[in-house]
Amino acid sequence: MSVAHIELVELDEASGGLWSEAWRRLRRNPGAIVGFGFVALFVFVGIFAPLISPHSPLDQNLALIAKGCCPGPSVHHLFGIDDLGRDEFSRVLYGARSSLIIGVVAVAVALSAGLVIGGVAGYVGGIIDSALMRMMDVMLAIPGLLFAIGIVAMLGPSLLHIMIAIGVTNIPIFARLLRGSILAQRENDFVLAARSVGVPRHSILVSHILPNAISPVIVQGTLALATAIIDVAGLSFLGLGDPNPARPEWGQMLTNSNAYLQNAPFLAIIPGLAIVVSALGFNLIGDALREALDPKLRGRD
Amino acid sequence: MLRFIVRRLLLLVPILIGLSILIFLWIRALPGSPAQALLGERATPAAIVQIRHQYGLDKPLYVQYLRYVDTTVHGNFGTSIVSRRPVTTELRERFPATVELSVAAMLFAIMFGIPLGFLAAKRYGTVFDHASLVGSLIGVSTPIFFLALILKYVFAVRLGWLPSIGRQDVLLDTPHPTNFYVLDGIVTGHWVAAWDAVKHLILPALALGSIPLAIIARITRAAALDVQNEDYVRTARAKGLPPHTVDSRHIFRNAMLPVSTIIGLQTGLLLSGAVLTETVFALPGIGSWLANAIFNRDYPVIQGGILFTALVFVTVNLLVDISYGIINPRIRLS
Repeated sequence: MSVAHIELVELDEASGGLWSEAWRRLRRNPGAIVGFGFVALFVFVGIFAPLISPHSPLDQNLALIAKGCCPGPSVHHLFGIDDLGRDEFSRVLYGARSSLIIGVVAVAVALSAGLVIGGVAGYVGGIIDSALMRMMDVMLAIPGLLFAIGIVAMLGPSLLHIMIAIGVTNIPIFARLLRGSILAQRENDFVLAARSVGVPRHSILVSHILPNAISPVIVQGTLALATAIIDVAGLSFLGLGDPNPARPEWGQMLTNSNAYLQNAPFLAIIPGLAIVVSALGFNLIGDALREALDPKLRGRD
Repeated sequence: MLRFIVRRLLLLVPILIGLSILIFLWIRALPGSPAQALLGERATPAAIVQIRHQYGLDKPLYVQYLRYVDTTVHGNFGTSIVSRRPVTTELRERFPATVELSVAAMLFAIMFGIPLGFLAAKRYGTVFDHASLVGSLIGVSTPIFFLALILKYVFAVRLGWLPSIGRQDVLLDTPHPTNFYVLDGIVTGHWVAAWDAVKHLILPALALGSIPLAIIARITRAAALDVQNEDYVRTARAKGLPPHTVDSRHIFRNAMLPVSTIIGLQTGLLLSGAVLTETVFALPGIGSWLANAIFNRDYPVIQGGILFTALVFVTVNLLVDISYGIINPRIRLS
């Protein structure tokens, strides 16, 4: 085999590209497909809740609960009626909105701040790296939920503050992950090559190191969406949820139904399952992405 | 090895200093004053001034911080504003409850997670393997408090098999020398009390242990799969060792390395879950205590309690790192 031939083969393999290959593997993973299904349903319901819900989530029909709480599922009310005579099905659909918005914004906060901190720490190194990482250690030393409760307590309960609180508690995770990933990439030959031909430091970081270091961050981002949805519900459960009653939220629905657990367990089970299904969707995708992006598994199929 | 331990211990110092400053400043940023929280809505201005003076809240910030550091270093975390009892006394009562709960949750997670993960790896690609993977994903996707509510509803309310709240039956009046109720029952010979405490622990431990169980099972499976393909496993099989010897000596022991790290990390993370579990089952542990302290603006409890939990958390992680060094010869000898 001639030298030229070997190079040709290597080029041929590389032309697949990490992302197109990952995409191909993802499509073949049944878990990923189910996950995409759940997430697509969740996002669709979240966006189009006003169009598809049969009733307003706030309309109270007190006649329905005149005989006690609470009538179970029926043809007109698929998931039954809640303790205030509202249609549970519509409320679950609307609940997807809160979870979707909070999840996406919280992860965006964590991701952007974590990327900047981790990127700077990993690429600049030295004292700045140590200082930033010690700060992250301090944040990680406080149990996440208590940290989030603390931030909401400090800023006051509101949708925005809940998103900030959940985002901030996730910053150190992203920062550490990206820093570690960058440190691993920094020693690579292609970085040395870029530096030796005079590419400026910041563009080495942005266009050479980051694209290669980013895949674990993307996986973590997907998984963080799942935990964000669960954490929001947890905050609601502790009484620190979105204070606006006009926005139904799954965690709050679960908590409110606590008193009716004996007579109407479906009021707790349905929003609870909604949380599980949407979190499961993101976890399935994250899991499949991790496998698809794993460089050790590349080219095996 | 010693240098590694000393270096890790030194790293704790800046973390603890940073943490104390962070908690201190954060408390001052909370809206509403503790004097107000203590005296209620209709407090007279004079009473508020008096309380502020009594707790040193009228001093400049740096004086308050130095006082806080000084008393904390001497093991005095102050007095709770709400219960008016020393924070250390409450900590002594509540910390054992959380430790007991966490240990029970971790035991459950380890006892089921490791065999499950190992079996899944041995039966790689079978229905059992897929089911365990899906099961563990559902496990990490289920909010702890949801699972706790369901368990409470089914096993305590509907079936009445297990108690639903508290650490011990209220009618049992037994001594508590250590505040670890199970241990207390055994030490003082009150077997009924010990068994009662265990029964109170079962449901909370199942709820709190579900996520670590799922994670431990996954990591065990992945680790066992990795090790299975190592050359030394093939060698062991080739020289004719019985399969179960290869499983236990060559695969299992080496697969336990990453699992031990995860167990340590999860132990630290249990505290967040403990806040929710303790709330559902009305357990008087530190999780629910701290959450309530934040709601009530109970400054000394927040300061002392969070610092203490953080100290426990970093110590657990340090112990994990050290034990990892001890079990892993590659780290120990390098």
